Amino acid sequence: MSVFMDLNVNYTADTSRLQSLIETAAHLGFSTVAINYVFEPTVKKKQEIPAPTAISKVMDPLPIVQGRSRPIRVLNRLTIVMSDASHFRPTAVEYRCFDLLAVQPTTEKLFHAACMIYDVDIICISVTEKLPFFFKRAPVNGAIERGLVFEVSYSAAIRDSTRRRYTIANAVCLMETCKGKSVILSSAAEKPLDLRGPYDITNLGLLFGLSDGEAKEAVSSTCRSVVLHAETRKTASGIIYTVKSCTDWPPADCEAPAAKRARPQLTQ
Amino acid sequence: MSADLERTPRNLLVSERSSFLDQKNRISSQLDQLHFNYKVCVLLPECSSAPSHLDSALNTFSSFYLIRKLPLYELLDTHFLETVRQGGVSGLSYRTRLDEDNCVALMPNGRLSLSLDKDSFELLGVEGKPSRFNHRTKSRFVVCVDLTDSSMAPGGRGYQRLVTGLTSRLPLKTDFLMSLPAGGGASVQALLSRYDWSEHRPEVSRCSLTDLLCPAPLTSDPSAPLTSDPHRLLEWLGAVHAAVSCENSSSSFLSSLVCPEPNKKLSHALRVSVCGLLSHQDVQKLIQEIRVYLSVSPPGSASWASVTLHGFVDSPVSWGGEEHGVLRGGDNFLSLMMFPDQSYLLHLAAGAHDTCPP
Repeated sequence: MSVFMDLNVNYTADTSRLQSLIETAAHLGFSTVAINYVFEPTVKKKQEIPAPTAISKVMDPLPIVQGRSRPIRVLNRLTIVMSDASHFRPTAVEYRCFDLLAVQPTTEKLFHAACMIYDVDIICISVTEKLPFFFKRAPVNGAIERGLVFEVSYSAAIRDSTRRRYTIANAVCLMETCKGKSVILSSAAEKPLDLRGPYDITNLGLLFGLSDGEAKEAVSSTCRSVVLHAETRKTASGIIYTVKSCTDWPPADCEAPAAKRARPQLTQ
Repeated sequence: MSADLERTPRNLLVSERSSFLDQKNRISSQLDQLHFNYKVCVLLPECSSAPSHLDSALNTFSSFYLIRKLPLYELLDTHFLETVRQGGVSGLSYRTRLDEDNCVALMPNGRLSLSLDKDSFELLGVEGKPSRFNHRTKSRFVVCVDLTDSSMAPGGRGYQRLVTGLTSRLPLKTDFLMSLPAGGGASVQALLSRYDWSEHRPEVSRCSLTDLLCPAPLTSDPSAPLTSDPHRLLEWLGAVHAAVSCENSSSSFLSSLVCPEPNKKLSHALRVSVCGLLSHQDVQKLIQEIRVYLSVSPPGSASWASVTLHGFVDSPVSWGGEEHGVLRGGDNFLSLMMFPDQSYLLHLAAGAHDTCPP
């Protein structure tokens, strides 16, 4: 198993609250957290994607994880709540400053597109409403093959009983389709009291229909594979391909019909 | 799904009933199989203070060393290997979590066991096996090396490979708890002088309990209702040692554990616990003293005594040197209930990611 991670800790402009969130996460035993900037584009006005604040400005030095000797690792993550296909722009420059990229699709078509086409790491399952669409095997399996993961967040379930029903219903629906693979459980914590320890989240995974081993993986190994997937996604933005150029040109007075000269291959 | 929720995590419990006077009892070999002992808890009913011979046994537990930030290649140091070959040296990495970090264990028979995560194993480059408790992805690997083997003699191929791995490729440094055989302190002085180390004695804490509800009758008779249900007995025993109230009052939601029926009230009981890296010899001596105490105490006063030995939760090896893992808890313990007629009831327990106790 790998270290425990919580990949969804909501960003607040209040620095002291963010600091106490990170301290609580380190105290509970999480070795990595990701600060989540939620971006919900609306039709009304043009909004800009928020730029992440540097971790050293938020908190320096970072607290040591309880029971280990290393400080907690803090990543930046962007979640785009999509209600239209134009909301996600694959080549946007602003996405590059974030370590992790997530989308939350709200319609079936967007869910299908997110699973099969979009270059993201995490697909969030909404917990604040009953899902308007059903999960189909084909896009879910396609997403698993591409290395994407599905995320269920639990802090809404702590705060409100209606959302608790929706969280459990949506999560159980997801687990039936994806068979417990490629799922991560995270808090969408806004205050330190919303966070729970990793073994408690493992127990919560049992409520969602995961088995013992799957639930523990959802907090550790699967999170690690998401972080690695995000790293490779960021670095694989271009491939250098060089081929030795042919320097001998065909003689001008040969009988063969005029043919295109072989151009030396350019670096792409 | 609801049926699954009622099940607690899987655990293994082996119960055995025998007598110390029986020639074929395996108690000492079973005690030796639990290599790394963290805590021994003793419960003596109808006793308000420990008799002197028991007290002296408790206070003479041998000490152990804590070395901070020991680089692991030092365990392969030539002088240290000489001490290891003579036997009796045992060590365990301290403050490393078995399901998150890299853990190291050195057993008294000279076997070094490293439990590594995927990245560290791939960096180290020494032969190892994937852990038996990997779920879907292979994320944990175990490297087991016998330091007394001829290939691990300094200069041997296996030795060279491990040393280069630990020095250049994966320079692991952990806090290390070490326990040495009697008189072995001198031989590791050279090693200790290079690092920040401290010597610790196991911590003894005593508590006198009054008005304790205890299940009765507790005998070694196999037909007695309680001894045929070891889970309830162990649950009650654990509650007493953890100072959890067994009253189950309606106003308290902290615990709903109760003492199994039929029960009786004890006016006094003594609860003692010793924490640290404990050696087998000290534990065997303590059990001997309790046997003596039970045999000389007047009949009707002490009708039983219990000793529980807990292993380290984060040790890479558990029963018999086999691999140990942590799913949601890594408990591995041994509970011995002794009676005045020298018979005993033994429970050996292991958690979900463990092999069956012997």
